[in-house]
Amino acid sequence: MLARLMKYEIKSTARLFIPLYAVLLIFALLNRFLNPFETLEAAESFSIQILLRGLSIGAYFFLIIAVFVITLVIIIQRFYKNLLGDEGYLMFTLPMKPWQHIANKLLTAILWCVFSVTVITGSFFILFDSGQIFEFLNYLKDSIKQTFGTAGFLVLPTLVIAQLTAGLMMLYNAMALGQLFQKNRLLASFGMYCALYSIQQVIYVICLLLLANTSFLSLIRTGAPAPWDMNLFLGTLAISGFLLAAAHFVVVNYVLNTKLNLD
Amino acid sequence: MTWDLTADRPIYAQLIEQLELRICSGTYPPGSRLPSVRDLAQEASVNPNTMQRALARLEEDGLLYSHRTSGRFVTEDAELIRKTKNKLAHEQVQEFLQRMKDLGFEYNEILSIITDIAEELIK
Amino acid sequence: MSNLLECKNLSKHFGPVKALDNISLSVGCGRIVGLLGPNASGKSTFIKICNHLLTPTSGEIRISGFHPGVESKKIVSYLPERNYLNDWMKVSDIISFFSDFYSDFSKEKAYDMLKKLNIHAGDRLKTMSKGTKEKVQLILVMSREAQLYLLDEPIGGVDPAARDYILDTIIGNYSENATVILSTHLISDIEKVLDEVIFLREGQIVLHQTVDEIREETGKSVDSLFREVFKC
Repeated sequence: MLARLMKYEIKSTARLFIPLYAVLLIFALLNRFLNPFETLEAAESFSIQILLRGLSIGAYFFLIIAVFVITLVIIIQRFYKNLLGDEGYLMFTLPMKPWQHIANKLLTAILWCVFSVTVITGSFFILFDSGQIFEFLNYLKDSIKQTFGTAGFLVLPTLVIAQLTAGLMMLYNAMALGQLFQKNRLLASFGMYCALYSIQQVIYVICLLLLANTSFLSLIRTGAPAPWDMNLFLGTLAISGFLLAAAHFVVVNYVLNTKLNLD
Repeated sequence: MTWDLTADRPIYAQLIEQLELRICSGTYPPGSRLPSVRDLAQEASVNPNTMQRALARLEEDGLLYSHRTSGRFVTEDAELIRKTKNKLAHEQVQEFLQRMKDLGFEYNEILSIITDIAEELIK
Repeated sequence: MSNLLECKNLSKHFGPVKALDNISLSVGCGRIVGLLGPNASGKSTFIKICNHLLTPTSGEIRISGFHPGVESKKIVSYLPERNYLNDWMKVSDIISFFSDFYSDFSKEKAYDMLKKLNIHAGDRLKTMSKGTKEKVQLILVMSREAQLYLLDEPIGGVDPAARDYILDTIIGNYSENATVILSTHLISDIEKVLDEVIFLREGQIVLHQTVDEIREETGKSVDSLFREVFKC
């Protein structure tokens, strides 16, 4: 049943994301042909051509930011509108458990975050010389290997996913707690986000202080820590991310199960 | 024939009267099959349970009978239909007389009014 | 258990406001029930609790033996008093959605009803008027073979012709195994269709009786009795 929910969730969001991605890729293609970097470098004086190309490259970078922002907005909106707005009357009367709704939103959101990053990377391939990019990627690979060892290729992505999951769950939690208020729910959700964020920071600081004196001593003392110590530190961060996400999940599930308060 | 139901009396009782009227007037001829409860309820815009109760009552009275598989039928007992017709006539006349009495007419006055109007109609 | 819907000492408070105040009632199978009361009398709150959209403050409610939850949602078909459909979807999309999630949903029935009302399955909801959208929702809800239909103000916003159609659909859809509970304040239009009525006032049950009992005992229609009970 979760798969079925996800099918519809992906369908409803794809109609927003795919045009967005298409526009970004088209702009990348456009810029490749206009080749603004070369023109800008070669230009000796101001001309309309330069202005246009400047604008086009500006638009491209603006679009990259827009993809991130819109991804975030859609993720928030899908939870707020589809579950806590009028559409919630349909969603919460489906024969589904609340955790399935949360998991559905979360997994789809992670999926689109990954896609957004992939598409932006893809647009670099269109815009720039692929040789240059591969060079950069190789450099990146080597640096990771040097600092973190081979384990870094597992630990770093895990950390990214963990922190992303925790971040998304905190957003959902803020909205779930915000809907408990009878009025000004959007504002309440924002307030809840600030509160949750503060609590999370406090927890992190306390954990760091506790752990700093024990496990991570070498990390602080040495200028160039060993890969093992780095991985241990990042791994702990990843696990704490998952733990936080789980804590948020439990709260959201409880609220949606027993404290649902649709308008 | 439309289903006239007033707001102040039990719907069940009114449905019985209306069904009797339809049987006596030949809308549902003797031996014919009645529409289903659902169709009748839809036609009269009433609750199917209420329609069902009214039909069950008419079955008890013998005006209807049901076949387990093929539905409900109007009785072929002409005598029973005639009796029902008389009963309905009785009720109509009684009601009419009561209203005329309320208007202050005496019986002989009422009779002459009826004859006058009837003669006019025949002309 | 013989009763389809059973609730005991059910209360729902919103802060100091008692939306439902210690309600106990039971409704059997094969009934068409009117949940009647002025605005803010607790009708919607009650229906939302049945749908697990609200959790009661105290008391208990069971539908076919189940507490509100996944099992009860499988057998309850709910028409809320608002538009809950995605505007960008086509009617046919929504029909697939319903048949994907509700095993008791009949596509044929839905398409049949659409055809009768001249609504095209390929149309998007955003191109439709408010009344047509309401009809689509009603079709979706009535195309399920549910045990309990909970219709919140189904005839509130529609024209008289559509109102007749809705009542006709409710009668036509009648089954001995299913119960329909509908909330409204337009009583005269529907009282002939109802078996029994529940009067709610300020979260309490004022009366729970069959329509014919009321007419027999008071010599009044439910509508006029309602006007008397809730006289301002």
